[in-house]
Amino acid sequence: MEYFKSGLKSVLGAPPPGNQPSGADTVERLVDRLQSSSLLDDRRDACRALKALSRTYRLEVGTQAMDALRQVLEMDRTDCEIVGLAMDTLCNITSPETFEAEVENYGPKNKIGEQFTEIFIKQSDSTTQVLAFLEEFDFRVRWPALKLLTHLLGNRPKDIQEIILVSPLGVSKLMDLLSDSREVIRNDALLLLIQLTKGNANIQKIVAFENAFDRIFDVISQEGSADGGIVVQDCLLLMLNLLRGNISNQNFFKEGSYIQRLTPMFDLPPETDENPLSGWSPQKVCNMHCMVQVIRALVAPGGPAQATAACQRTMRACGLLQALCDILMASGVPADVLTETISAVAEVIRGNTSNQEFLASVMAPSSPPRPAIVVLLMSMVNEKQPFVLRCSVLYCFQCFLYKNEVGQTQLIQTLLPQGNEAASLTTGQLLCGGLFSLDPLSNWFSAVALSHALIDNSIQKEQLLRVLLATNIGKPPVTLMQQCVMLLQQGNKTQCKLGLLMLLCRWVSHCPPAVKAFLTIESSVAYLTALLSSQEDTDDLQETLLQSMCALLLGLCVHFNDDSVPNYTKEKLCHLIENRLGLERFQDAIGGITRHEIYSRTLKHPQPSTKDPSDLLLDHEFCRLLKILEGVVVKSVQDGSNPQEGKDPTSTLSPSDSALVSQYKELIREQDAQIHRLNQTNETLAKEKRDLETQVYELQTSISHLRDQNLVLRAAQINLTEAKELVPSVDTIDLTNVELEKYKNTVRDLENRLAECTLNLQKQERTECNSNNSEYEKLLKEKTLELEKMKKDQENLLELLTEQDSKLMQYKEKLVALGEKVNRIRRKFRRTRYRRAARIQQLKYYRRMFNSITGINFRSKMKELFIIHGIISSPFKTIFNQNYLDQSIFY
Amino acid sequence: MSYAYLFKYIIIGDTGVGKSCLLLQFTDKRFQPVHDLTIGVEFGARMITIDGKQIKLQIWDTAGQEAFRSITRSYYRGAAGALLVYDITRRETFNHLTTWLEDARQHSNSNMVIMLIGNKSDLDSRREVKREEGEAFAREHGLVFMETSAKTAANVEEAFINTAKEIYEKIQEGVFDINNEANGIKIGPQHSPTSPGGLAGTGGQGGAQGGGCC
Repeated sequence: MEYFKSGLKSVLGAPPPGNQPSGADTVERLVDRLQSSSLLDDRRDACRALKALSRTYRLEVGTQAMDALRQVLEMDRTDCEIVGLAMDTLCNITSPETFEAEVENYGPKNKIGEQFTEIFIKQSDSTTQVLAFLEEFDFRVRWPALKLLTHLLGNRPKDIQEIILVSPLGVSKLMDLLSDSREVIRNDALLLLIQLTKGNANIQKIVAFENAFDRIFDVISQEGSADGGIVVQDCLLLMLNLLRGNISNQNFFKEGSYIQRLTPMFDLPPETDENPLSGWSPQKVCNMHCMVQVIRALVAPGGPAQATAACQRTMRACGLLQALCDILMASGVPADVLTETISAVAEVIRGNTSNQEFLASVMAPSSPPRPAIVVLLMSMVNEKQPFVLRCSVLYCFQCFLYKNEVGQTQLIQTLLPQGNEAASLTTGQLLCGGLFSLDPLSNWFSAVALSHALIDNSIQKEQLLRVLLATNIGKPPVTLMQQCVMLLQQGNKTQCKLGLLMLLCRWVSHCPPAVKAFLTIESSVAYLTALLSSQEDTDDLQETLLQSMCALLLGLCVHFNDDSVPNYTKEKLCHLIENRLGLERFQDAIGGITRHEIYSRTLKHPQPSTKDPSDLLLDHEFCRLLKILEGVVVKSVQDGSNPQEGKDPTSTLSPSDSALVSQYKELIREQDAQIHRLNQTNETLAKEKRDLETQVYELQTSISHLRDQNLVLRAAQINLTEAKELVPSVDTIDLTNVELEKYKNTVRDLENRLAECTLNLQKQERTECNSNNSEYEKLLKEKTLELEKMKKDQENLLELLTEQDSKLMQYKEKLVALGEKVNRIRRKFRRTRYRRAARIQQLKYYRRMFNSITGINFRSKMKELFIIHGIISSPFKTIFNQNYLDQSIFY
Repeated sequence: MSYAYLFKYIIIGDTGVGKSCLLLQFTDKRFQPVHDLTIGVEFGARMITIDGKQIKLQIWDTAGQEAFRSITRSYYRGAAGALLVYDITRRETFNHLTTWLEDARQHSNSNMVIMLIGNKSDLDSRREVKREEGEAFAREHGLVFMETSAKTAANVEEAFINTAKEIYEKIQEGVFDINNEANGIKIGPQHSPTSPGGLAGTGGQGGAQGGGCC
């Protein structure tokens, strides 16, 4: 063998002296050897050599050896070593990174690896084969197979995803790697799965089906949970891939109670005094980001409402929301973690009343303790806080107010002149402060936040009209709206103006009183028209937005106008627009926003997010408002400015009629409010009534219960007396005594309860009307009567017992007498038994006699004997036979 | 919610036989006359009680279309029970049962409980497959049989619960290895002294405690 090998080497291996072979030549020779050698060892050597060359001569090896390597995988699959080497070589060939040797010839960003990947996977069974090698437990095979798959996937993700998806148990094989005890395989498998699940819902679902979440949580806890290393982060990234946008998996996650398993991961690191940030290593911060992303994936706005609500409910119930709030209020949390956590809290509470209430009840550990929301808003209007943090607070506050009528009302309430001017800082004060601060970003934040208190809430829109502000000492107070319009007219930054305009647009929409208030403010309309007519065409984004919002505001003033301001009735405003701007210009202006990319971007997600503070211009909810109302507003203005074309019925009315109509409207509104109030009082009264009824019912049942017990007691008493008369004995007497004791207790108990009941009744009497009172008294009397009767019964019982005691004595005596009789009978009985025994003795005696005499005719003699004595019974028979046998042996 | 056991089910059968509707009726107790085609698979879950024990059913409703066949095959291995559904008003869905059954037997673990379901029993006037035929097929292949209506909810509960009962009995008999998660059965967190560890094939790696309750 050795000889043969060396011979082969001399044929193939020995290079001509002095002529260094090129890389390509060597590769060619090695490939040839790999393909043609009949010995496994030789092929193995060739493969090893190819592997060594595959980094430096990647192109050569790749172009020439691909088929040979494939062949190895197919033909030599039973030999772990050569398979491992072949796959290592393929790994190098398909590696996505650029090797140093290549940079010179092929540039730093060549796509050699990708091209070879393409060639390799062209034969789809090649990939399936690599997948099959994952099942081989040998490290030399499993690991390279895993690496090779990772490279292939990295270069051609879509193709490999499809191949794995359709290959039987493809995903299962990969999932099994997660339980491999060799960490390097498990960790690489995690990385591969992250790649594999990217953007493929079908694979995501299969991975989840294969118990991915269980295994991920197992790995996370093995690796030290949230404090663990990068492997934990990888686990979380995989989890995120499985959940984000995949409703089926989200549902599975929730149903599998995995949300509960997230909660302990959010426990805060123990605080140390010297360095509050010590618990927050960079890795922990990364893990935290991923954990928060996982949560947000489950409650992302825009998901199916039912599923989101269910997740939100679970998160509150399992303490996750509490844990998140703890992080919000803890000290020493890094700002970026805090920002993300605030956004997560935002989405966990969004549109969920009880979660919103929960956040409202969270108190910050400051002195004096303040509501968490107030503390959050303080940082929102604080210039010194990081921009992203302030954005996330706004988002959180918006989510807090989203579909939260109570929260909206409470916010506006803090602005209204109330009796008790509390010294503590309120949300409303903070927002007003922000609205009028010198920081345009604070203005914008506060205006938007305030506008969210008015969404779908016309009551609060009217309430907000009542807000008065004290400006300077000595000057009369102005309304909030006046102040807003004034700020708008002053030369403030555009960002501030946009904020105010969004607030005003929200305010006047669906609220004629607000329109009226706005129109009566001096120069408000003039400002809008002036701004709209100032520049015809502008490319400046901010200017376009400004004009667009002004046009919308003007349009809203037309659409929701109830003609209560004589100078600016619907008709007059429309004429004004027509004359000063022209209808087309107006339409252009109002649609200006929608043509910008920022509009569609803002419309996509409710979270305010821009990189630069100065880019923060539009609010999500405002964009929605614009989208809904743009059409109707334009139509209103059109109809209003063309009086010839069919006017809508309200505008055809004469001034006196419209005054009448508005008067009626006012009346209806008042009546509406009245009905609402009455309904409320009715409800509370009904509730009270229900409560009282249940109380009465409870009392009645307890009384009937007592009555029943009483009955049972009496029955028991009767039974007892009867029983005593029938079979009196010492034992029963004792028993009765015990029972009596018990009944006494019961009676005492009952008395106590009765007293309680009486107390209850007395209480009840106070609340109940007098008619019931007498009834209860009657009942009470009955009860007392019953009790007395029971007491009497009890005395009777006692008497009875003494009586029975004496009776018992009598019986005992009788028994003694009877006993004698019994003894006599017994003696007689004993005598008969004795006689019988004697007879048996006699029998035995006869037998012995026969034994001593010769045994002749033993049986017949015996029978004779028996006949003489007249006794034949089966046991004797057997004894007899036995003896007979013994005798026969004896002979 | 705690449970004693968790069973994984799959629902298979031709497209349009009412698989998704059966699931919706079982999990949400409602019927949706127009249902979109299922893409890949969809997940649903419900808790039931058998023998006084809480049992959680995790159900994967698969797409019936041929195009998804290779994807849905991935779900056979890990399932403890399968509902094989045909439409009593469409003969061809009954004719395809053999193919489905072969597929299921080939890719699933041998103990998987298969329940044959003739759906749309409310449409008796348009019936094309007799009840007896379904019964005969089930008998021949050792399946449990039932006719259901996802619309009227007739027998829907029973179909899912009887399958679970069958699995439960098999567990009691010791047929299922409940520690192997690939069988589609899991013991509830409070019922197992240690959480079920890794797979048998990959060898002993212990201590994988699912840090559940404490």
